[in-house]
Order: sequence, then C-alpha cells, then structure tokens
Amino acid sequence: MPLRRLRAGLRRPPGIPGPLAVGLSALLAAMLLALGVAPGLGRLQGAAPQPVPIRALMPAPLADAVAGPVARFNAKNPGVRLEVIRGPLDTEAISDLAISSLLLGEAPFDLLLVDVSWLAKYVAAGWFTPLDGWFGPEVLAAMEPGARLGNSIGDHLWRMPLTGDTGLLYWRTDLMDRPPRDTDELVAISRDLQRRGKVPWGYLWQGRQYEGLSCVMVEVLQAFGARWWDGASGATALDSPEAVAAASWLDGLLRHGVSPASVAGFTENDALQMFAAGEAAFLRNWPYAWREIEKADGPIRGKVGVTTVVAAPGRQAGGTLGTWGLSLIRGSPHPEEAVTAIRWLTGETVQRQLALEQGYAPTWSRLYDDPELQRQAPLLVVQRAALQHPEPRPLTAAYAQLSDLLTRQVNGMLTGQEAPAAAMASAQRQSLQVLRSMVGTPAAAGTGP
Amino acid sequence: MKLSGAKALLMLPALLLLVAVFLYPLLRYGWLSGHASSVLTGLRPVPNGGANWQRLIEDVRFWKDAGQTLRFAFCSVALELAGGLGVALLLHQPLRGRGTLRALTLLPWALPTTVMALGWRWILNDPHGPLNAALRSLGAPSYGFLTTPATTWFFAVLADVWKTMPFVALLLLAGLQSIPADLEETLRLEGASRIQILRRLTLPLLVPYLSLALLFRLAQALGVFDLIQVLTGGGPGGSTESLSLYAYLNAMRFLDFGYAATVMLATFLLLAVLLGVGWLLLRRARIARTTGGPA
Repeated sequence: MPLRRLRAGLRRPPGIPGPLAVGLSALLAAMLLALGVAPGLGRLQGAAPQPVPIRALMPAPLADAVAGPVARFNAKNPGVRLEVIRGPLDTEAISDLAISSLLLGEAPFDLLLVDVSWLAKYVAAGWFTPLDGWFGPEVLAAMEPGARLGNSIGDHLWRMPLTGDTGLLYWRTDLMDRPPRDTDELVAISRDLQRRGKVPWGYLWQGRQYEGLSCVMVEVLQAFGARWWDGASGATALDSPEAVAAASWLDGLLRHGVSPASVAGFTENDALQMFAAGEAAFLRNWPYAWREIEKADGPIRGKVGVTTVVAAPGRQAGGTLGTWGLSLIRGSPHPEEAVTAIRWLTGETVQRQLALEQGYAPTWSRLYDDPELQRQAPLLVVQRAALQHPEPRPLTAAYAQLSDLLTRQVNGMLTGQEAPAAAMASAQRQSLQVLRSMVGTPAAAGTGP
Repeated sequence: MKLSGAKALLMLPALLLLVAVFLYPLLRYGWLSGHASSVLTGLRPVPNGGANWQRLIEDVRFWKDAGQTLRFAFCSVALELAGGLGVALLLHQPLRGRGTLRALTLLPWALPTTVMALGWRWILNDPHGPLNAALRSLGAPSYGFLTTPATTWFFAVLADVWKTMPFVALLLLAGLQSIPADLEETLRLEGASRIQILRRLTLPLLVPYLSLALLFRLAQALGVFDLIQVLTGGGPGGSTESLSLYAYLNAMRFLDFGYAATVMLATFLLLAVLLGVGWLLLRRARIARTTGGPA
C-alpha cells in the first residue's frame, strides 16, 4: 500500500551522517555571521554613501533608446543611480501596469514616461507631483507650439515632454512626383496606381479596436472639420454632419478597396510591414517608421517620402499629437534627484541623440534651427511643420472611456456591423451617458481637470 | 448530519479562509457598487444613490457582453465535453505508446493562455499569418479571420477548446479507469454491443466526472479574460468582449471603480444563478436515474 510506505518513509530518521551535519551547520552559521557583519565592516572602512536610487518606468522601445544617455547620466552624477524599468511595448499595457502599482499606494518607480493621452486621468487620480517648482513657464516657451500641448492641466505643469511626435503621412517617391495635397488627391492617386497595377493597395492605416484607431480618428475628424471633444461645453460632438462625413470617408476607403479590409485589424506595425513590403502607395504612421524602413533592406528603401497628414479640400489638416514625457510620481522619496534625471533626459543633448538614432521628433525649437541636425535628420522639417497644427486627443480624465467607446463603434463600422451615421450616433449617445454617470450631472461633466 | 463542537472547530480555518477570500470581497463589491468612485471623484467613494445599477440596466454594452460571454461559454464547454469524452475513450484503449500519447495530449493544457493566444493571433494574421499563406498558395485571396465577427468568435471558441479539452479528457480518463473492467467484460459476454456498453454502463458511471468537468469548465469559461484580451482585445467592434474584460477595462483603464464593482457583482449574480440552475438540473437527473426514472 502506497500510503503505508509513505508513512514508513516519514518515520525513517533523516539520512544525513553526523560529520556532514556538523559541517553544514557550521557553514550556515558562518553565512549568517557574514551577512550580519558585512554592512558594519563597510561602514568601518568609510565606504562612499550609497547613491540615491531613481527608477523610471518606460515602454521598452523608449527604454532601449535612452539606455546610452542613462549610462552617461549615472557617470556624471555619482550621487544618483538612475535605473530604467523596461515596460511592455504596447501603450495600453504599460499604462495598465503603471496603474496596478499606483493603486497599491507605493509605486516602485519615481518617474513615469507618460503618453499624452493618459495625463488628465493620472493627474485627476492624484498620482503626480506638479513640476512648477523646478520648471518655470519659460521652459515650455522654448518649445515648438505642438510640443507645449498636453503637459499642463489647470495652472500646473505635470509633465516634461521628451518627444514631439505626431502622426505623419508616408508616400512613395517612385510612384508619384509629389505627395497628395488633400484627401481627394490621396484617393485619386491611390486608385490610379491600383488601376495601373503599380500597387495592390492605396492607403494603409491603423483600424484595430485599440488606441491607435483613436489617433487615426482624431486626424480624420479634424480633416473634415469635425471635433471629437468640445472643451467649452465639456461634451463630445461625434454625431455632427462633419463627423459622420469623416467616418464615411474612412469606411469608403475599405468599401472601395483603396485600403485592404485587413486594415480593420492593423496596428502600427502591421501597417508598416505591409507598406515596407511595397504593397501600398501611402501609410499613416509615427516618425519612427521612417528609420525602420530605411534600416531594413526592403524593396522600398530610399523610395519613401514623409509629409504632414492631409485634410479634405479647404480644411485645415492636423496630425494627432502622440508625445511622451516624464512625470514625477507623488510620494517619490527623492524628488530633487528625480527632477535632475528629468532635466537630463528631456534636455537638448538627449533629444538630439534620439532624433539622430531613432527619428523621434525633438520638442526644443533650438534643435529644429540647428543646420547640422537638419542635415543629418531629414525628417526634421516635416516634424516641425506638423508641430505647428497638431491635434491633441480630448484632454479629459474620462478620455480612456471615450476612446474605448469610439474605437469600438468605428471598428464595428469598418467590419461591416454598422453604417457610419449609426456608428457615430451610437458613439455620441454612449459618450454622453458615460460622462453623465461618472460625475452625476451632465453640466458637471466638463469640469474635470 | 449534526456538527459536534470538535468538528465545527476543525472546520473553522477553512471557513475563515472562505470569508476572507470570498465573502469579504463580495460585501466590498456590494458596498462599492453603491458609490461613484472614479477619477472624477478623485478615486474617493461618493454615494450615488443606485446610479451605477441604473446605468447597468441601461448599459447596452453590458447586456451584449453578457450574451456574448454565455454564447462563448456554452459553445466551448459543449465542444470540450464532447471532444474530451472522445479523447478519453481513445486514450483508455490499450494502445501501444499510450503513455506518450497521454502526455502529448496534455501539452496544450500546459501552455500559458497568453502564449497560446499570441500563437493563434499570429496563425490568423491577415495577410502575413500561416493560415492565409496556405489560402493564397491554393489561389484563394487572404481572409480577415480576426476582422470578421463570425470567424473571430469561431476561432476564439476553437482556441479555448484546443487548450482546455485535454483537461476534460484527463478528468474523464480518471473516471473511465474507475469503472471496473469486469463489469464491461460481463456485459460483453452477455452480447452487448460497444454502443450499448457506452450508453448503459460507461456514460452513467461517468456522470459524476462529467458534471464535475462541466461545472469547472463552465465557471472558468464564463469568466474568460486572458484569451479574449490577447487574441482579439474584444474586437472587432466589441463582438467578442466578455464580461470580465469589460469589468477589467472599467477598473484598470477607466479607473471607474464604482461601476467596475457593479459589473463584477452583476456578473457574479448572473453566474451564481446559472450554475445553481445547472447544479439543480444535474441533481434531479441523478435522482431520477437512481430511483428509476422521473415520476
């Protein structure tokens, strides 16, 4: 019987022979002694004070991009030890991770690299310390207009921007002489190229049900003169005729075959891979995509132009503001040292390097004026132009909900579950419902930070 | 059964544990669901007079997700039970290399769901995934498996069945092995066919194992989260969103804890009622069988 054997085994005396047991206990005692004594010995010998640890949580690509500057910072500041925690790649995943630790009270990091779309929510939750004490109003004045947006809420500065990225339009220099000037031209050129068999597809963008689709929507709404968020009334305006026209245009791209149906499942990378394989004339993406295309030895290397996004004829175009910046976590035990790290990481030296090596758009106007950098980073001119009229996402603490709602409806439209007018009307109705229930009264919905 | 003092005392630690991990969170959810607690209240709970429950009743998304969750759970659990039974019967046969086969069957169950879901997402990728590559090599155009609601739902079920069928099979295999071989032998000697043996002997004796697998799997499938989150993110157009995913989004992404608690509690009540009804039905069926049929 197994059970009886088990019991017998338990009753058997432990099989460690005497001498070995003595040796083991001696070793254990020595280890414990060493653990207790070692720190004291260090103090006796007058070892240098431990550097102040500062931890920053960043999405993996940016964490890798700043690895060099972080090492230089630590070499220059022996009193501080800056450590970057490599978070997940996906923007939403890293926000979920940060929120999980912030909700528990003591976050294991002092700095958080914050996407522009999170700021209102985090500030409303009371998780950040304002930076006004360290950075005066003149700091933002030295930046490009678009880079100044989305850092201040109320009268306080909550975030120092590290990148000035906006949505951009990529086009094929081997297929056309100049980029399209408006949405009509974009479609016309696409269809002409498709008809002549030059490319299977015209325009690639991000249509999966996720935050990237909201970025696309911000641009398309702006391109047709619609507004997602009316800051004055604190409400959404998604059922306006202009907004429906914007949604219809996007829907038409799929229905008329300018964009493949698979766009409805595309993230940035899916769209980039297909464009880099030479299968389309246009791509909507962030600045990093240009370096990716030029680095890879693909069929369209050296045949790609970059320009600002386009609007409907007679409308003002604006690329979605997608900037990242550093915020100071409330309750960080070492705010002074943390701000030193912010100063260095968001400073001109590091931004210059990020622009050269990764293609991230700088925020400082002085960098855009630098002829040397202009020569080495050809995207700079376009990035600066895009930063003159960028489109921020709704600056409200309820943004995550509104964005989730809109992408759900629009993705439903793209996958043929709903017509554009119905999808937008539904998004509008649900948005107002959410705003009402979060604060109680509709009038108070806009008084969030 | 009467509880003596000693017995009650022995049960106390388990009871305390249940209260701590089960009753307390439930009561806390109940309390929180009567409050607004979101970024707009600075994460402080403010009583809102049942506004959360009113919102829940009017929330099209909650009811749509409830329907989707039930549909997902019933379809995948039904397939898992049927498939699991088949696999268990197969593995019960005296085959050569049976041990290896049993170990192989367990592989999908051993994989982390997230990894498995990422794998499926890649297989179904349009246009780069292997499934679409196969389609194109046959001359067909590539297909948006994850951008068409019907196929997305189908593959979500398929992925779940693929992963958890081994669990059901293992459970049923244990059941099969508990059936004395001489019973089967006797029936065979008396001239019963394989189908008759399965219907009259194997299945009735497997009922406790089947109902155990059913309850386990139903409870798990109704709370499905990671598979959906990774494979579809709830898309396309929210057509695969489950109740757990909706509750998670409310809490972790929207920081709307009052409403998230309401969604969780409503989901719990819904599932409790469902599992309760299922349990009653099973019990009635068992009583009916042991007493020789319903009145």
